[in-house]
Amino acid sequence: MKRNRRKLLQMLAAGSAFYGPWTVNRVWSQAAQKKPLVIGLTMDASGQYGASGTDERLGAMLAIREFNEKGGVLGRRIEALHMDTETTPATGSRVAERMITRNEASFLIGALHSGVANAISQVAQRYGCVYFNTNSSSPTEAGKDCHRVKFVWDGNGTNFAHAIVKNAIRVNGRNWVLLTNDYVWGHQTSKATRALVEANGGKIVEELLIPQNTRDFTSYLLKLQQIKPNVVAAAVGGDDIKALRQQVVQSKLDKSFAWINNQQDWPDVYGLGPDAIFGVFGTNWYYRLDLPGVKEFVAKYQKTYPGIQIKVPGNVFYNGYMATRELLRCVEEAGTTNNIAIIKKLEGRKMSAVDRMQNYEAYINAATHQCQQTIYMASYNDKPAEPDDIFKILSSAPPQEVEDKDAPGACKLESYEATPSYEQ
Amino acid sequence: MDFFLNLLPHLLNGVSLGLLFALIALGFMLIVGVMEVINLAHGSMFALGAYFAIALLAFKVDFYVAFLLAPLLVALVGMLLELCMRRTYGKDPLYGLLLTFGAALVIEEAIRLAWGSGEKQLVVPPEFSGAMLVGGLIYAKYRLYASLAAIAMILLLWLFLEKTPYGAMIKAGAHDSEMVRALGINLTRLRLFVFALGSALAAVAGIVLAPIWGVRPHMGVDAVIPAFLIIVLGGVGSFWGAVLAGIMVGIVVGLTGAYASEWSMLSMYLLLIALITFRARGLLGKKTALEA
Repeated sequence: MKRNRRKLLQMLAAGSAFYGPWTVNRVWSQAAQKKPLVIGLTMDASGQYGASGTDERLGAMLAIREFNEKGGVLGRRIEALHMDTETTPATGSRVAERMITRNEASFLIGALHSGVANAISQVAQRYGCVYFNTNSSSPTEAGKDCHRVKFVWDGNGTNFAHAIVKNAIRVNGRNWVLLTNDYVWGHQTSKATRALVEANGGKIVEELLIPQNTRDFTSYLLKLQQIKPNVVAAAVGGDDIKALRQQVVQSKLDKSFAWINNQQDWPDVYGLGPDAIFGVFGTNWYYRLDLPGVKEFVAKYQKTYPGIQIKVPGNVFYNGYMATRELLRCVEEAGTTNNIAIIKKLEGRKMSAVDRMQNYEAYINAATHQCQQTIYMASYNDKPAEPDDIFKILSSAPPQEVEDKDAPGACKLESYEATPSYEQ
Repeated sequence: MDFFLNLLPHLLNGVSLGLLFALIALGFMLIVGVMEVINLAHGSMFALGAYFAIALLAFKVDFYVAFLLAPLLVALVGMLLELCMRRTYGKDPLYGLLLTFGAALVIEEAIRLAWGSGEKQLVVPPEFSGAMLVGGLIYAKYRLYASLAAIAMILLLWLFLEKTPYGAMIKAGAHDSEMVRALGINLTRLRLFVFALGSALAAVAGIVLAPIWGVRPHMGVDAVIPAFLIIVLGGVGSFWGAVLAGIMVGIVVGLTGAYASEWSMLSMYLLLIALITFRARGLLGKKTALEA
């Protein structure tokens, strides 16, 4: 009996040694026969948003890896091609042009800086290549700079302002100062904040423009003390907000006014220390949301990227992952990489709250191509469950409440006919 | 009166910022003056100073020891760069420019490989951190100490150049290198020393400014451009010209930051254009033979 069982086990082992790899390789061998599907990752690896660009790239790569493990899409292996867009619009254009014309990228994904996103999308629209703006948040991206081929995945300045302004006026006071990063996202976000502050009985007493790559904020901090506002609303991003936060803490000004940061990206605050996380800020995801799937997603991140400096995923990684996963799902559903077919799959698409690990169902507004989603307000967590638990989620707003009602009027999408057909 | 009272903190802040700018420019000025090389890797030495200090602090080295040791390590890197530079001496200045540009790229990438692309923090001892009240306004205490460190470095360098025989050799080398060689001074060794000193000064500036600017691989670019601008504005080779230009740039940047913030980054370039239009040799630059 013992011998028979051993023999049976030996036969099973031999069988699986032969058939196991064969079945796995069969998927690959089929995929390998077809031309790989190239996804161009247009993400910053240097400049003001270098750190965040790296983070969103990892998010996109995880989604690509998951699909490749299932055998790719449409029987094609997915190849990720990354080029550094250097937080520079001119580089963004050049990279997009190259990826489309030389590398035959099927789709383009990635952006932090709204100027770069706008530049990439102009090139993408010219060729008809579907482009996902994953993390740049200027309201113009889904407004006057919208395009038929472009889809915007992050919450924007207007969404965050809607979620925060009214309550902040009531709690903190009417006199506001705007700190505005001097480029399209900063301007548009502050414009949205100004409109909401004034509509709710508040007053903008001063707007200070912060040139990009400002490292020394002392002049601004002195000026703020002379103005003595109730609220300082900052639309400052990337490495600039890191430097600002550090200097505010150094000067002990974190408690002198109510600080509001329109949107706080995770890589810009991770590792700065608890003191530097002051004020109230917006985000569209947090790694300790008490929702189904969140813990598993965090575990997957840690398993895929062991030893990484940012030990838990943040909103930027999340957006990179979600956008890429949704794109690949659309390709699977459409059964083609044809741009118009994919665009039609995306327009008006609904994504369940459980699927996106957020509190409310998300949807893509067909008139603006922006993903409307849950917006969270957060502050520093003074009772962290673990060292990385630095945010305390204060509230969650459903997408309908924070949607930019002016965007559909400002966004003039090109018609399908005017959009070149594109398929790689 | 109120206007001037409001202006005063911004003027003082400008002077403090200017002293820090001057500190960045001094090492750059020294190398340009003696070796007639525009060292585009100066910013990389600035960045390396901050990174070496962070690395030493990570090994539990005392802050003050790290402050002294990191510039010495950067001086060694500077000496290595000077050894590579030797083949370019006496040739078209473009060779030196290209070599230092290449070195800057290599060092920045090496920093990325060693320390990653993310932002680092140089933690200063508690006695330097915190805030103080100046005329009813809160001001970061570290800024004051950084300005004092800049003043100390400027004075030390001036004393070294003016009151020691080594300083005399450096100045003579800047004025007429062939004559210095004819007098039996080892010019090769002098150049090596000047490059090491210039690099160490850049490193000191990097450490002093790190807690204000933050530490990231491309921080050198943020430093080398103002440094270049300041030595042109002050007059190439002029010690006090560089200090004066640094303070002027600081005041202009500080005031525009407070009163016309959208112009604050541009203001230093506008100042350069305005001054060079009327005084091509800079604030304290010497007249050339053509101008005399």
